[in-house]
Amino acid sequence: MIYFQPYENPMYFGVLFIALIPIIVLILNGRRSKIYESIISIFFLFLTFGGPSWNQGVALIIYTIYETVLTFAYSAYRKKANKSWIFYLAVFLAVLPLTLVKISTATHDQVQTLIGFLGISYLTFRVVQTIMETRDGVIKNLNLITFLQFLLFFPTISSGPIDRYRRFEKDYNRVPKQDEYLEMLKKGIHYIFIGFLYKFILAYITGTLMLPELKTMAMAQRGNFLGLSWPLLGVMYVYSADLFFDFAGYSLFAVGTSHILGINTPMNFNRPWQSLNIKDFWNRWHMSLSFWFRDYIYMRLLFMFMKKKTFKSRITAANVTYVLNMLIMGFWHGLTWYYITYGLFHGLAIVINDAWLRFKKKHQEQIPHNQFTKYFAIFLTANIVCFSFLIFSGFLNQLWFSPVTTPKPHVKLK
Amino acid sequence: MFKKLFKIFGPIICAAILVFLLLISPLNFGFGHINKNVQKDAATSLEAKVVKGKEVKEQALNDNYVAFFGSSEWSRFDPMHPSVLAQKYDRSYRPFLLGAKGTQSLVQFLTMQTVTKQLKNKKAVFSISPQWFVPEGAKLDAFNYYFSPLQATEWILNEHNSTMDRYIAKRFYEMLNSSKDPILRQSFKDVSEGKDLSNFEKSYLKLRHRILLKEDRFFSTLFISKKNQLKIRKCEKQLPNNYDYNKLYDLAGQLGRKQTSNNKFGISDKFYRKQIKKRVKQLKGFQKDETFTKSPEYSDFEAALEMFARNNTDVIFVLPPVNAKWQKYTGLSQKEIQNAVTKLKFQLNSQGFHHIVDLSNDGDIPYFMTDTIHLGWRGWLYFDSAVRPFLENEQKKPNYHINEQFYSSSWQNAMVSQIKNFK
Repeated sequence: MIYFQPYENPMYFGVLFIALIPIIVLILNGRRSKIYESIISIFFLFLTFGGPSWNQGVALIIYTIYETVLTFAYSAYRKKANKSWIFYLAVFLAVLPLTLVKISTATHDQVQTLIGFLGISYLTFRVVQTIMETRDGVIKNLNLITFLQFLLFFPTISSGPIDRYRRFEKDYNRVPKQDEYLEMLKKGIHYIFIGFLYKFILAYITGTLMLPELKTMAMAQRGNFLGLSWPLLGVMYVYSADLFFDFAGYSLFAVGTSHILGINTPMNFNRPWQSLNIKDFWNRWHMSLSFWFRDYIYMRLLFMFMKKKTFKSRITAANVTYVLNMLIMGFWHGLTWYYITYGLFHGLAIVINDAWLRFKKKHQEQIPHNQFTKYFAIFLTANIVCFSFLIFSGFLNQLWFSPVTTPKPHVKLK
Repeated sequence: MFKKLFKIFGPIICAAILVFLLLISPLNFGFGHINKNVQKDAATSLEAKVVKGKEVKEQALNDNYVAFFGSSEWSRFDPMHPSVLAQKYDRSYRPFLLGAKGTQSLVQFLTMQTVTKQLKNKKAVFSISPQWFVPEGAKLDAFNYYFSPLQATEWILNEHNSTMDRYIAKRFYEMLNSSKDPILRQSFKDVSEGKDLSNFEKSYLKLRHRILLKEDRFFSTLFISKKNQLKIRKCEKQLPNNYDYNKLYDLAGQLGRKQTSNNKFGISDKFYRKQIKKRVKQLKGFQKDETFTKSPEYSDFEAALEMFARNNTDVIFVLPPVNAKWQKYTGLSQKEIQNAVTKLKFQLNSQGFHHIVDLSNDGDIPYFMTDTIHLGWRGWLYFDSAVRPFLENEQKKPNYHINEQFYSSSWQNAMVSQIKNFK
């Protein structure tokens, strides 16, 4: 039997394409077989979570049952009553497995291997969002099969993009018209091929060919003040490029495959390197994640602060919420100093950015605004982002704190 | 609708057909010929793609290159390095360095597969480090890094259910990452159990081999690093115009003295500063418990020997020492090393491999080693003075007789006192 990580090699795409042919034919004929789609979903989940990763598969099944019971229990409760503490409890319970995994990853104990699996974060985002919208009353009737398909949608299971239940449901319960679907197919194939360029060529050049060399060169100069060196600057840019090509490539595969399945999964990247400022950047980078944080953390926190009048000024409330929001995102990435610093860095960057925008608005006449300032803004933003990715990469941790490697005579690998 | 569908999928289908045809077609499109300079770079680049490939090695060994099997020692370039000396003094042979950090007997066995024709009745050099012979054997990650599907398919399509084939298949099956080529891995399992390959496996492996061969031809000569060739040219400039052993010996001493000033171990300054200085205290005594007598590597090595025997290749084996001062500091027992050397020499001599250069007791000669375990300056010169006459002069035809007992776990675990039982 053959097992794959999603989109890892040409063979995966071969199997994927063959599995998709019946779906393409059916949709072109104006039909959708939910049974076949479910079988395909289970088949691909099995390819990822079976065999050598079977323990992750077990964790996935238990997790899915747990979250489904929780979500449906809350949905049933919400039809009768709407107590805040029940809602908070439901969210707490939904996030609990992910929290345990994150803590155990940081403390290196065994919980991670017991309850963790590839994509647990993204499933949790989907569950929490469903519970929140159930509370808001916008999701009224949950359908079990649709919910499971939404939660376990195989093209996006390991790293998103994070779809919304209502949006997914709408696509899932209708068959696109022939012309519309041909358009989706065209886009889907186009995305997948751009993904090949990103992931298998550009991410290979940056991540496999360049980055290890640069890291070795930078490590060789760790004796410098703070380990600063030219190769370190190279690590910063090349890591940033690699992160983008790798993740954007993966996202293109996920979105492209979704399109072929007749589901308009939202895009994850929109030319992030052309961002004019940090806020603009977060509207273009890993969009489904940043919009999730915006809608379910930022907006809700801000609303709560305003309602309770925690802060005197609107601006202070917004600033505190920005920092909290990004800090939570940092914690979500993992409980290490560099992820948390990364979150804090972006929170503060947005605060500064906002202050600058207010200042600019007040002094519109004095501050020039032309092509040059536009390109300067793009350049500055890209560099600030790359610096934040250097923090995020954890390489500084290795550079500053890792022990000097022991030259064991028989350890001969790079 | 079909017109639109064709617009979407037509180009992909055309591209797929073209690539497939290109890969299985007998034509080479001019990629077959390898430039002499590329050959020169490849012979010293030590890159994994060279170790894993075929075409470059094949053509070089057809010319005047000689296969030098080994591992990380080849990367210690200084003026006395065999590649530098052969180039500077325009010898009749040039070393083709095969091996890098982490390549041990199993990888060497694989490397031989693609050049069996070139090894037939030829000479070769094999540098073998006692440090490979640790109880856990070859490292999984190193093996997987250097594992070449091209070489593996070449071997398995030629296997004929010998003890060696079954042994190797078992080792490959155990060592290869399960996520890599499942059909190839399954065929390792079948061969290890003495079964024939199924027709499906055979046709799959043949097709795969054909495609890999083409890929190797198209891509393996691209982007070969010139870094080491540049180092060699720099080193050449430091040598006198005419070869004179005594002059070179003095020069080796002078260079060694100049470059080992920051530590008491005679380790080159750069290596010491980068790898050891910060942890020198922790490293004291860290090799007290190392043993080299019991290891699956002994049987892996046997498979490499059997390949040489099958091709009637005349091989000279070099057993390098460990830096004696460093060895004393880390507590590595010389007796353990000598046990391994005794076992290895027995394995070699008893099967007819008589060209053995044992340097394992020379780790205390000043400037013999460039760092902890690698030859440098004078060590390279000793190496050269043994290897050069072997390669330049006519040798008596070897007469090998392979003893399959060396594939047994009892040999892998044999104590020195027991080796006589393996006659």
